[in-house]
Amino acid sequence: MQIRFTPEQEAWRQEVRSFLDRELPPAQAFDTEFDEDEERWAFALEFTRKLGAKGWIGLGWPREYGGLERPAAERFILAEELTYREAPLVNSIGHGLAAGTLLLGGTEQQKRRFLPPIARMETFWVEGLSEPGAGSDLAALTTSARRDGSDWIVRGQKTYTTWGQRGDVMYLAARSDPSSRRHEGLSIFCLDMKAKGVTLSPLDNLGGGRQNHTYLDDVRLPAEMLLGEEGQGWRYIMNAFYGGGGHAAHMYYQRMLDTLVAWCREHRRGGRRVIDDPIVRQELGALAVMVESVRMLMYESVSNAERQRAPAFAGALGTVVMKELRPRFSETLHRIVGPLAQLRPSRFAPFEGLAEAWYRHSYANHAGGTPQVKRMVLATRGLGLPR
Amino acid sequence: MNARTEVIDLELDEGHELLRRSAREFLAKRFPLARLREVEKSELGYDPELWREMAALDWAGLGLPEELGGAAAGFLAQYALHLELGRALVPSPLLASSVIAAELLLAAGGDAERELLRRIASGDAIVAPALDEPEGGFGLDSIQLAARRVSGGWQLSGTKLFVPYAHVAERVLVAARSAPGPDGISLFLLERNSPGLVVEALPNIADLPLFAVELDGVRAGERELVGKPDCAGAALEAAWERAGILHCAELVGAGERVLELTLRYAQDREQFGRPVGQYQAVQYLCSDIAIDVHLASLLSRHAAWRIDAGLPASYQAAAARAHAGVAAQHIVRQAHEVFAGAAFMLENDLQLFTRRAKHWELALGDARYQLERLAAQLESAGIG
Repeated sequence: MQIRFTPEQEAWRQEVRSFLDRELPPAQAFDTEFDEDEERWAFALEFTRKLGAKGWIGLGWPREYGGLERPAAERFILAEELTYREAPLVNSIGHGLAAGTLLLGGTEQQKRRFLPPIARMETFWVEGLSEPGAGSDLAALTTSARRDGSDWIVRGQKTYTTWGQRGDVMYLAARSDPSSRRHEGLSIFCLDMKAKGVTLSPLDNLGGGRQNHTYLDDVRLPAEMLLGEEGQGWRYIMNAFYGGGGHAAHMYYQRMLDTLVAWCREHRRGGRRVIDDPIVRQELGALAVMVESVRMLMYESVSNAERQRAPAFAGALGTVVMKELRPRFSETLHRIVGPLAQLRPSRFAPFEGLAEAWYRHSYANHAGGTPQVKRMVLATRGLGLPR
Repeated sequence: MNARTEVIDLELDEGHELLRRSAREFLAKRFPLARLREVEKSELGYDPELWREMAALDWAGLGLPEELGGAAAGFLAQYALHLELGRALVPSPLLASSVIAAELLLAAGGDAERELLRRIASGDAIVAPALDEPEGGFGLDSIQLAARRVSGGWQLSGTKLFVPYAHVAERVLVAARSAPGPDGISLFLLERNSPGLVVEALPNIADLPLFAVELDGVRAGERELVGKPDCAGAALEAAWERAGILHCAELVGAGERVLELTLRYAQDREQFGRPVGQYQAVQYLCSDIAIDVHLASLLSRHAAWRIDAGLPASYQAAAARAHAGVAAQHIVRQAHEVFAGAAFMLENDLQLFTRRAKHWELALGDARYQLERLAAQLESAGIG
């Protein structure tokens, strides 16, 4: 059993911190999921390119595709540092979802074609999975891809397309076998967002981000835009959802907790510092337990990934905890902050209005499936209870 | 270069897994739940023959130094053993005598206690730690039993509660307040039949052998003092921390068994034409148990690893204990909801876990106390 990073790994952490000290002024840190400010986005793209120039986007990939072949623990350290500082690393659909699929099932040609531009931040990927009739039940998707000579013609509608208006290409899940149902016969494609037949309509969300409906009106895709094997789409998607390692969600919560504690030490209420209120202290302790729980789930993910172990409970237990914890964390934080927590930025808003923003963000705990759906997966596939 | 040091690995080492498996096999044969039921009803409240067998397996000295006859196996080994002691719901003096009392004697004591420590390690001597008090508080501040300086030593007056195995203990190890403030605690090792010392049974929900120890002007001299006066605070904090994590291990082991029992019942029991485990509400209850047990396992294992590695572990231990304090209750409550009326009957095994879980929940620092410890550490840490 081992939970301590080696001196070499700690040196790597320092290297990452030095990079961030140089390249990330604190004012430029922002949550790229919920902030559409164009100046910040310009910085984010440039910042991501710089990370790419160091080879850090594809940190764990094989060298021939633009990677550095670094192990899970080092990818984890990078994720911890970036997450804690809210570094605006963009293109998670590219270096996460698309790269994961390519590394799992892509042909040599596909890997060489698609991975290096992701590693260099040259192609911005957006996600094309959910549809109006296929959210939690993703297997019900109906967007079709039919053969026309060597090309594919795609017809259908995607929704909740995060960052759609910024996308160069879409990671598209479509039904390539017309006689198939549910999770059989699905394929993954790289769809050019500038192609004829692709239109967007905006969906602004409660978090402050812009998502989109994406309409695909007989869009033509050349054959080489298929990712991986035809008909294996479901396997690739499940790998992305339940495969582990590399995420450092605990640092997102650690940052919120640290910000809150600092405020509690300075702000006074009822004749004393907020942090001297015994009820607040109990709630802060509860938040600390939440952060440590997430930290251990992330450690477990790395531990499993490095050892090539299948996660316990079909990988669903950690997911349920994360999704249910997010609203609870935010609500506890709001109880501590009190009425000031409703304020958007103004000179009276605690920590620049972040409490208000974090609360709205906490309603975004459904991506990839609701907590209730994940509970079903935990109960049936994880615990063996009958469907 | 050892490739393993490059990896975060949460799995117990092979040696600890072996210890765990052999302990499970031994206890499954030697201490089935039917035997627990008998023991709970007995005068002694534990099985002395089993205790002798546990000692013969070197469990009584598992964490104690080799020069005292212990196995010096490290804290993770003790953690692994307690997973199985918890699964089998074994009542034994191990935690009280070999962990808490022994750790206190080792940390605070000198040569005078070495012979006693040797016999604790061999299981021949049981020493009962008398630390908690009737107010029901935790921590050094809660120790109010007075040690008043008199000629020839001290006079001890006050009451200790939840003293485990006082009825069979050779000695009682009393934490007393000899001066004000957190540095004012002294430890005294008293004979059970000391004049003025009265032991009274404390009937409790878990049917564990817990006692009140009343001290009415009990005299203690240099011989009874352990180490130096007013110095025991740090040793107490360390002993409580370790014992708290071992209680977490017991909860994890028991919780895994509760989950197994509950899942089996959910699959076997049919109502309205189908297994009750098919109903979403029942699935939620079962997944609650799995989540609580798994997080308890991860959090306590992290603290245990840090203790084993000699790293500061107060934050992680408090987080593990705070979680366990809530989980202990929640695990059994959700299990009872699945079993419904069947588990309200004493003939059902679940209530054995329910009553023991209440003890674990409240022993050695309940959730409220642990959350305060976390807050205190957050307050003093600064932005990090």
